[in-house]
Amino acid sequence: MKPIFISFICLTFICLTLAACTTVRPDENIFDAAEQAIQTAEAVGGDEFAPVEMRFAREKLASARKGMEKEKYTVSVYLVEESEINAELAIEKSRTAKSRRRVNELRKSNEELDQKMRATFGDEYK
Amino acid sequence: MNRMLTKITLVLVLVMLSACTTAPKKDLALDRVRGELEDLKSNTELAGYAPLAVGEAERALRQAELATGDDLYRSYLVYMADRRIQIARTMAEREQYEQVLDKLEKENSAMLIRASQLEADNARMDAEQARLLVATTVEDAQRAREEKDKAVRKEAESARAAVMSAEEADQARRLAETRASEAEYARLEADLASQQITSLTRQLENLQLRETESGVVVTLGDVLFASGQTTLVEGGRSSLEEVVDLLQTEPDKKIRVEGHTDSLGDAEANLLLSEQRAKAVLEALVSLGVASDRISSLGMGEDFPIASNEDEDGRARNRRVDVILLDN
Repeated sequence: MKPIFISFICLTFICLTLAACTTVRPDENIFDAAEQAIQTAEAVGGDEFAPVEMRFAREKLASARKGMEKEKYTVSVYLVEESEINAELAIEKSRTAKSRRRVNELRKSNEELDQKMRATFGDEYK
Repeated sequence: MNRMLTKITLVLVLVMLSACTTAPKKDLALDRVRGELEDLKSNTELAGYAPLAVGEAERALRQAELATGDDLYRSYLVYMADRRIQIARTMAEREQYEQVLDKLEKENSAMLIRASQLEADNARMDAEQARLLVATTVEDAQRAREEKDKAVRKEAESARAAVMSAEEADQARRLAETRASEAEYARLEADLASQQITSLTRQLENLQLRETESGVVVTLGDVLFASGQTTLVEGGRSSLEEVVDLLQTEPDKKIRVEGHTDSLGDAEANLLLSEQRAKAVLEALVSLGVASDRISSLGMGEDFPIASNEDEDGRARNRRVDVILLDN
């Protein structure tokens, strides 16, 4: 075994360790998915139905942009992901709220119809 | 040399292992998120409504549980798992609402259908009531007539039996007559009422009616006359009664009776035949009560076919008498 060979092994490990530690600068378009999710959430009424999640989504996206400027890439990537998932949650919450509203409306109109039927047809009804 | 290499390798392996192993310290945030997922899964109302989203939440939680490395990364994964669980819960809730909505929509349409049924029932019931009312009137009138008939007979009998004075007997007879005509009047009224109800259905059922520019045309088929004959067949007259009933519903309209033949034979002869047949029908109608001053007859011959003269079926249809209720 020659010292050259040992040096080679050591160098390889050092390189690998370094590669694991260094975060390369992410692509410029890492914000796209989060931005799009926020836009969708706005379109389905997120600000009305899920204001908290909307705020989280926007704040985290803003923080992620700042982090990128300061080259804190890892945190920025996490923040972008967290922003996007908050927007997703806002979308789901808005849709659920709309379903709930339709249920309430229809329940009310069914009750009214029921009363009207009773008033009109009396005992024949049901 | 060999020993040195082994040493170096051993050290490196140890370093790497120590990097991989994280002491399993108690992670409160992770415990809380795990609790949330358990909570969602044990909720029997929500469980199963959003299996895919729950699966994703489970995967996210497992990733957080297995995560090694720095606290920042781990807390990021825990946060993501928490959001995934919330998304799953929201989707399950929505699915639940959608099912309720489905049920409510079904209830709604069932109620609307019921409403239209009840409305139709009510309308039918009203019609039935009206019909019953008329029928009752008819029955009442008949009963009155029978009672009066009985009274008439009784009075006449008692008149005979008691050997009254001529004047008394006469008076009794007059009284009986008056009552008889009252009874007759009641019967007529009753007849009229029942006629009004049944006439329309009967007309539509049995008569061939056609709407034309000149008016409603009742077509009498070639069953009224035997081949070449100009007098009505036996029973032909009674089959005209329905036509008369129809004609009398419009007593102000003029009536024209038109005779038609098929194209077989001499045209001149056909014209004469159609003329005579129309006249025979006219006379029958008049004898059944149609006012003679509002009815006229006309022979049209073979020139106005309503079907092809090529086959027997068409010719049979062309041999006809049209009774037209003229519009003006």
